[in-house]
Amino acid sequence: MALSALSSARSLSRLLVKNGRYIHTTAPAASFKSSVSLEKIYPESGLDMTRNIQPPKNEGINFSGYIPVEQLQVSYSRSSGPGGQNVNKVNTKVDLRFHVETAEWLTQELKEKIAEKYKSSITSDGCLLIRSDKTRSQQLNLADALDKLRHMIHTAAYVPPLPSSEAVERQRRRHEAAVRERLRKKRDRSLVKQSRRGPESEF
Amino acid sequence: MSVFLPSSGSYVNIMASSAGTEKALSLLRRLPRVGLSNLKPNPGAHRNKTRSRGMNGGKTHGAGSKGSGQRQNFMRLGYETGNNPFYLRFPCQNYYKGHHLKLSYIPVCMGKLQMLVDTNRLRTDIPVDLTQLVATGLFSVRPEEKEGGFMLEDDGMDHFQTRMNIEVQWASEAVIAAVERNGGTITTAYYDPIALGAACNPMAFFKRGVAIPKRMLPPQHLIDYYSDPKNRGYLADPDLVAKERFILAQKYGYELPDIKSSPDKDMLLERKDPRQIFYGLEPGWVVNMKDKVIVKPTDPVLKEFYAS
Repeated sequence: MALSALSSARSLSRLLVKNGRYIHTTAPAASFKSSVSLEKIYPESGLDMTRNIQPPKNEGINFSGYIPVEQLQVSYSRSSGPGGQNVNKVNTKVDLRFHVETAEWLTQELKEKIAEKYKSSITSDGCLLIRSDKTRSQQLNLADALDKLRHMIHTAAYVPPLPSSEAVERQRRRHEAAVRERLRKKRDRSLVKQSRRGPESEF
Repeated sequence: MSVFLPSSGSYVNIMASSAGTEKALSLLRRLPRVGLSNLKPNPGAHRNKTRSRGMNGGKTHGAGSKGSGQRQNFMRLGYETGNNPFYLRFPCQNYYKGHHLKLSYIPVCMGKLQMLVDTNRLRTDIPVDLTQLVATGLFSVRPEEKEGGFMLEDDGMDHFQTRMNIEVQWASEAVIAAVERNGGTITTAYYDPIALGAACNPMAFFKRGVAIPKRMLPPQHLIDYYSDPKNRGYLADPDLVAKERFILAQKYGYELPDIKSSPDKDMLLERKDPRQIFYGLEPGWVVNMKDKVIVKPTDPVLKEFYAS
């Protein structure tokens, strides 16, 4: 049987041998399915790893966690610190910025919260700036910057729960008890100081 | 039943020789596996030991003469009349506990992989698996030294810019992100030692003239790893893998490339069956390199076995 090199038809099965040539075979096993194939293990699954995943939406003050990376401006530069040739030449520092006011992926409430809480991280032209040069790798630094951004949005969006009426009542009672005790102690001390003074002269 | 005849190079049906053989074979098919739970000696083979008494078993009654054997003999096995016995002298060390079960993997870093692609030592227009990596000539896998295959390391992942379909035995999260951000696909798959030997040196395997075996499933301590979509395991649900791809893209900050619109879509989505060792070859086939033929089983029993 003749050897045919670089057969491009999908239906032909390929067997790469050490010298890089191919062997043409009939009846390929492209559709071989054993008893432990994925169809048998997951009968209800669509078995499609390329299916589109719909990103979750932000609602009001709730941040879904989804950040559209294409709407962020990412720039790379050299990191600081020791490291010799590697730190001098490799662009591992990551700068992440986006204009808060015009960001479509954030709701108005979230934007306000971020502007209020992180005004020190917002530049003069209204961009939220996040930097990372934590690791030696650009990829990991980008992941770190995104993690920081996500954390910032979550903390900005966090609304602490209101205290319950029992807790408010408890606070009021304790505060009043503390005030009473403070005044009592103050009065007692005053009496002690008075008793140390001599009798008042009549003249 | 079928028997493989090397002279003619085919599987041939032969009739059973006698009713006795048939009966024995039918018993073999019906009965459960032989084990300690279903074995017993023939009646009369085992006689319980009883203490000797009476006319010919009298006087010492089977206890010998004098010594601890005839007298109150309560010492346990291993006891050495008070000194530290041999079996307690050496403490139990767990340094190597289970070491015979643990596998090691040959590291291939992303920088090296990129270098192999750049120097045309590794093709990216076909799926890259164990066989392809060993065929570069730079790596050798020794199954007898308990090596399980290849692991992909993240050293040099910043410079990785290849779209490829790669199958390794272990990969970290950063490596998976590096492969997927360039539009490629990565799978982690298990090869049992025999399948590993065959995959690493296909020509030597085919020369032996034996049928391609079924690839065995991973052992218990590894099956969780290979069923996890986070590790892109070959036994994981592809729908969950799709979700994990999205999550990883969000974590590492890249836009998930659309494989469906890629020109290499078919190549990138090509996957082996969990029982397959080689792309394009099924278990049970015999590859004859001399005559350039592939011999396949015809007997339904064999076909059923190799498809199981």
